[in-house]
Amino acid sequence: MKQIYIKRCVPFDLYEVNLLDASNEELMKISEDMGLALNLEEMQSIKTYFTNKRRNPTDVELQAIGQTWSEHCFHKTFKGIVVLPDGGKIDSLFKAFIAKVTRALNMPWCISVFADNAGIVHLEGEYGIAVKVETHNHPSAIEPFGGAATGVGGVIRDILGVWADPVACTDVLGFGPLDYDYAKLPPGIKHPKYIFRGVVAGIGHYGNNMGIPTVNGAIYFDESYVGNVVVYCGCVGVLPISKYVKRARAGDHLVLAGGRTGRDGIHGVTFASLELTEKSEEVSRPAVQIANPIEEEKLKRAIISVRDLGLASSITDLGGGGLSSAIGETAHKFSCGAYVELDKVALKYPDIAPWEIYISESQERMLLTVPEENLDRVLEICRDEDVEAASIGRLTDNGVLRIFYRGFNVAEVDISFLFSPPKSYKTAMFVKPRLKEPIFEEPRGLTDPLLKILSSPNVASKESVVRTYDHEVKGNTVLKPFCGKNNGPSDAAVIKPLDNSWRGIVISCGMNPRYGKIDAYWMAASAIDEAIRNNVAVGGRRIALLDNFVWGNPEKPDRMGSLVRACMACYRFAKGFGTPFISGKDSLYNESPLGPVTPTLLITAVGIVPDIRRIVSMDLKEPGNLLYIVGRTYAELGGSEYYRLMGLLGKNVPKVRLKEAQRSMMTITRAINRGYIRACHDLSEGGLGVAAAEMAIASGLGLEIFLEKVPRADEVYRNDYIMFSESNSRFLVEVPEKYRDKFETTAKGAFYALIGRVRSEKSFVVYGLDGRPVIETDVDALMNAWKSPLIRG
Amino acid sequence: MKINEVRVCIIRVGGTNCDAETRRAFKDLGVKTSIHHLNELSSKRNLLDYHILVFPGGFSYGDYIRAGAILAKTILSRIGGEIRSFVDEGRPILGICNGFQILVEAGLLPGLNGISDYPEAALATNIPIGYRCMWVYLKHEGKSNCASTWLIPEKRILRMPVAHAEGRFLLSDEKVLDRLLDNGQVILRYCNERGEYAEGRFPENPNGSLYDIAGICNPDGTVFGLMPHPERAYYGWQLPDWTRMGRPPKYGDGKLIFESVVKYVAKKF
Amino acid sequence: MKYVARVEVRLKPGHTDPEGETTREALVELKYNVKSVRVSKVYEIVFEADSVNDAKNIVEEMCKRLLANPVKDDYRYYVEEAHKP
Repeated sequence: MKQIYIKRCVPFDLYEVNLLDASNEELMKISEDMGLALNLEEMQSIKTYFTNKRRNPTDVELQAIGQTWSEHCFHKTFKGIVVLPDGGKIDSLFKAFIAKVTRALNMPWCISVFADNAGIVHLEGEYGIAVKVETHNHPSAIEPFGGAATGVGGVIRDILGVWADPVACTDVLGFGPLDYDYAKLPPGIKHPKYIFRGVVAGIGHYGNNMGIPTVNGAIYFDESYVGNVVVYCGCVGVLPISKYVKRARAGDHLVLAGGRTGRDGIHGVTFASLELTEKSEEVSRPAVQIANPIEEEKLKRAIISVRDLGLASSITDLGGGGLSSAIGETAHKFSCGAYVELDKVALKYPDIAPWEIYISESQERMLLTVPEENLDRVLEICRDEDVEAASIGRLTDNGVLRIFYRGFNVAEVDISFLFSPPKSYKTAMFVKPRLKEPIFEEPRGLTDPLLKILSSPNVASKESVVRTYDHEVKGNTVLKPFCGKNNGPSDAAVIKPLDNSWRGIVISCGMNPRYGKIDAYWMAASAIDEAIRNNVAVGGRRIALLDNFVWGNPEKPDRMGSLVRACMACYRFAKGFGTPFISGKDSLYNESPLGPVTPTLLITAVGIVPDIRRIVSMDLKEPGNLLYIVGRTYAELGGSEYYRLMGLLGKNVPKVRLKEAQRSMMTITRAINRGYIRACHDLSEGGLGVAAAEMAIASGLGLEIFLEKVPRADEVYRNDYIMFSESNSRFLVEVPEKYRDKFETTAKGAFYALIGRVRSEKSFVVYGLDGRPVIETDVDALMNAWKSPLIRG
Repeated sequence: MKINEVRVCIIRVGGTNCDAETRRAFKDLGVKTSIHHLNELSSKRNLLDYHILVFPGGFSYGDYIRAGAILAKTILSRIGGEIRSFVDEGRPILGICNGFQILVEAGLLPGLNGISDYPEAALATNIPIGYRCMWVYLKHEGKSNCASTWLIPEKRILRMPVAHAEGRFLLSDEKVLDRLLDNGQVILRYCNERGEYAEGRFPENPNGSLYDIAGICNPDGTVFGLMPHPERAYYGWQLPDWTRMGRPPKYGDGKLIFESVVKYVAKKF
Repeated sequence: MKYVARVEVRLKPGHTDPEGETTREALVELKYNVKSVRVSKVYEIVFEADSVNDAKNIVEEMCKRLLANPVKDDYRYYVEEAHKP
């Protein structure tokens, strides 16, 4: 019988893997045994490579290739070929849609896009803004606290990986309903409450301990998240552009700094490329990483010092794939080879096999390349910060990765081979769900539906969660998650990162998973519109976008089809709005025994505001002021909170009409610039009804609105449609009487109307199309509905 | 001495994270301020070259064991002599949030009989439990000559944010509280918008502190610790609701703390 | 000689234990009939000492100086000789 794994005669664990004699069946078995998650074609290509070398690979080599080629590291699906139903082909969704926007727009303020750990845009003078958003779904499903915490830690390292100082974090979370029936849970899937509790605590733990404010985020509840928790972690940093140094050369030292290396998270990468199954918990436990935010805090200090002194020639973080990815990518990027001595890696405990050291995902580690003459100084800086660091090898000029352990050569692979996996082919199919627009009678009064929507988990106040995150550390948070007298929900966060400038960074997001159940195209369009209008609502402009896809198994053609449609929308609308993508990430294979995740696209928008003293918050300010709506209302209740209340999904999902949308946004930006607007809130979940209620709650002031005045399409003939339609690109704004004419002149060309006034008492009254009140309540009742459902695990 | 001759040392270790904004506040007052790692302070510098020592907020050493405990013991073991001289000479020490926890764990506060070997107070887990980031109202008791608050009028209501999980001020018994009160060591108490004491009620009292205590000083008034963050309420644009005013005011209430301690030194030395 | 101490630190009786209370609530929610939960922290410390008595004195000092805050914490410990595995 031929042996597959042959132990090498060395004083540690090293195996040769008999690929050369392996049948296709055996190739797949090897992939599975070793947790490589590679398909047959990929295994065959490795076999061919080593056949040409006339030798078998070692376990170190196979693992290094497996990591590099994993979905998580290489993004095979987005870079691969998609075969369309008509036989047409798309060569790389990423190039054809996402990057194409950025290229077409060619904005001078984009400094580095898609090229590095994070996207970089200009802030002011010599400063840039770095932004990155990551997903950490699979680890959070297995161990919510550690998974979420290391998600935050990982994205912060991405920011450090472009030499930026992290200044703010964001987090957007998706859970199953907290009241989900325990009896319906399949084995291996944890209850949403348990996951919720752990994820929220994990995010707070990391951000708070590191002293980075968590300033923006959202929480969604959806049945499809029961088996597929969604955890997006984002980080924004600031850097002097001249310190953005990436020019490593052969001869530079590879310096590994930070936490020690253990078996943490081994195979985390390949694990993220597989569907979760009942066995996931049992087999995947070691894939969970352990978080130590204080270690990263120290590491951050050391890195910023090294940056300021210009001692290193490049930097990258250790994330998925550990050393394997960091070294491989560094060598690849600078057209070098690498020489690595694994003995020099500081370990948490002895007897870790070389392949484990090489792919371990132990947290809080960064890789710097340092020219010989600066090495001692870099190591000294680390020591002063109580950070362990060592040179573990060097970049070479031969294009080969050579790894040594205790004097033995344990791997030797061409970098060029490492970075040329076979192209992936995936088939897309466009499946239209059979949906109908429901027919039902308009309720007689709308007070009750409004109160119920305010209490629904997706709309109700998330204060019980958000207050557990420090959103003020660093003392630069100008517009906080809550505003007004009664903690209304801010549309976006604004931070003032530079002491000697009034310029602010505006951070917002958009996400509409409910629309994804109807049509991924309009879901993506809506997410883009929402992220931008949240930004615009407080005064943000010159907006850059980040895309983060959470999708099901792309090998299933319907999932792939909806992904293609979402990407098409990304191209059309991001280009239309003039908002380039600067970074993004995809998390695929989000499937569980309960089915696939609802196609979910998070769009993060990062804008600037020239003077933070001009920003606008969403709480009403003064009795007597006028209320205008900007934007047009359509009968678009598909996927709305109003329909959900009735157990319906519907079909008419909100669309984006670019011209109208641009005019709405432009109106707001100009009016804020000129100081005409005292309060502004975007219309999203729950439409006009919820926006008006939230503005009233935040201030404690009542208001009156006349629905008959609301600009609307012909098909909108019902009060409930006007109140609860979730049509995009709309704002509700408060304008003082004295600016009435000026505001209206500014708004010319957009759909807008004066629809009501702020009241001096607490009554909240909405007059229907026939002039009679359809809502009569007061701020206290609204506040009670919005605040009383305590969202907690 | 002149204001610009005052030298402030902000100390940090791994996990300290409010040092930069604390320095910014002092610098705004025109004071020479530097941040030093304990490693540096204990090897390359002399603490007595400074007039004010500040323990800023954060999670020093991960707040393992108890918040502030490790740094408290480490610093005493490394530069305990310099700390004692600093206190003996009446140079002010300010501890904010984690810094307050450190001062209590180090026995510098309440310091009823000088620096105590073991803590005489505790900052225990919040009730209700959990980390919480929110704005609170504080009343300045102002009966003493506390170096860090002497410029603040008595009974003045201040607004600042808190952000902590362990801020419930505790004493071993009521008698100790009486001594603190007799000595005028209770400086800040949680209250509501109108200045009525929280009487232990959440959210006005955000952590369940005994007697609504938010900040205390030592009997001499030179060592002062508080849970709220004055550096996050230094500028007007840091206020949670400044947008209601149209334009932000120039400064917030936090400035009074920094101004007090700086002017105290300028006056005394 | 090598000794190992197991030190347990917990809140003094009569002190509110919010962590214990929250844990109790969570267990009750999972339908366990739990009356009370008290949380303590356990440290396992391996160190050198001349004798068991010496070792106990050292541990006592460790507790007083760092591991417990006498205002709120109680502590107890067991000390024994460390056996090599």
